[in-house]
Amino acid sequence: MTLWYKYLLLYLWIAPHVLLLGLAIFLLNRRLFKQFPAFVLYTWYEIAEFVVLFAIAISGLGRGPWYLRLYLVTLAISTALRFGVIQEIFNHVFREQGPVAALARVALRWTTIFLLAVGVLCALFASGHSTASLIAGASWLGRGIAIVQCGLLLFLFLFSRLFGVSLQSYVFGIALGFGILSSVELANWALHASDLSESMARTLNLLPTAGYHVAVLLWLGYLLVPVITRPRQLATADGLNLSPHIDLWNQELERFLQ
Amino acid sequence: MTPIFLYLVLALVAASALTLLALRRRHAPIGIEQARALMDSLDMEAFRNLVDPQEEAFLQSSLPARQFRIIQRERNWTALCYVKSLGHVALEFSHFGHAVRQSTDPRLAELGRQIEAGAIQLRLLALQAGARLFVAATFPHLAQRCPRSLFDQYERSTRLVIRCGILERSQKQAA
Repeated sequence: MTLWYKYLLLYLWIAPHVLLLGLAIFLLNRRLFKQFPAFVLYTWYEIAEFVVLFAIAISGLGRGPWYLRLYLVTLAISTALRFGVIQEIFNHVFREQGPVAALARVALRWTTIFLLAVGVLCALFASGHSTASLIAGASWLGRGIAIVQCGLLLFLFLFSRLFGVSLQSYVFGIALGFGILSSVELANWALHASDLSESMARTLNLLPTAGYHVAVLLWLGYLLVPVITRPRQLATADGLNLSPHIDLWNQELERFLQ
Repeated sequence: MTPIFLYLVLALVAASALTLLALRRRHAPIGIEQARALMDSLDMEAFRNLVDPQEEAFLQSSLPARQFRIIQRERNWTALCYVKSLGHVALEFSHFGHAVRQSTDPRLAELGRQIEAGAIQLRLLALQAGARLFVAATFPHLAQRCPRSLFDQYERSTRLVIRCGILERSQKQAA
């Protein structure tokens, strides 16, 4: 293992979690755990998971098959939490939207069924060459889950865009981060199913952590930087230069409303 | 290699779509003047006439069947153009309302919430009316329903936008 690879691997493993710790503290300070309990739980869970797995890895215990099992169990919990966060985002986005919220619920249900069917069909007919190992099984399942999660997030963006439902900056950031993460995981699990050379497998190890790093940066960026653009100064000095027609109309309406 | 290629293409398409959505998102919402200009640009009276059932009945009784179908098809396509514009206006109103919601003034923020909710409802009704008009344009012999709820919702939305403008202006004058 070359030195640069080792450092890069360590960086991509440690750095996102350090940033995630900052994000988790920020979420607590801003009391966003009231609005996004699942996302806050997810961030703290990811940090705890990293601490445990990293401690095992550097202590030299992470070579046995039980480490792989532990990794897969933590990954399964993480995946379940991601579904929770996606549901939370949906609830948050459509909570005050009346009939559109009802439509969104129905559409979400059907989209989930459709995506599950696509995931199962892809697993059945496009499974690729794989051995009957634990990692091959996880890869099979991981691809299906990544398809469903990615599809749900794309659906959220397209549906909200169709109806003009504006997503708050940080909600958009959270969803975008999970979307990127799911698409990277889809590629990662797909490549895991193929026979790879050792050097290729090593390079591939960087893919999920790099994707995770991007996702954490997106979460941090959208939470820290207020992206929502304010309206162009409602009734500013420009607003006084109204055309006589609109001005007259407004005066009439003003009188009418009073 | 083909199944892996398929998954990689799927992943790439999803990542590209998400990136595109993120890049296209940053657009400033319209201001009150633009909202008013949008309202002015729509000739609602003409739109009402195009989907008026009485007008349709009159045309049906005065024109030969073939000519009526031709005219009715044209009317419905034109009405569909109006609905598309109305849907666009609804989107802009929704973004405008969302921006007003961020106001520190609770009255303006509440008004912004109402504008946004109304605009989303308007968009939903516009999509429904669009689908109906598309069917009506394709099959002109079918009787069409007047999208009254669409007009009512548009009225409500425009009133809210006007109230928002008035409130803004009165605050400006008070300051």
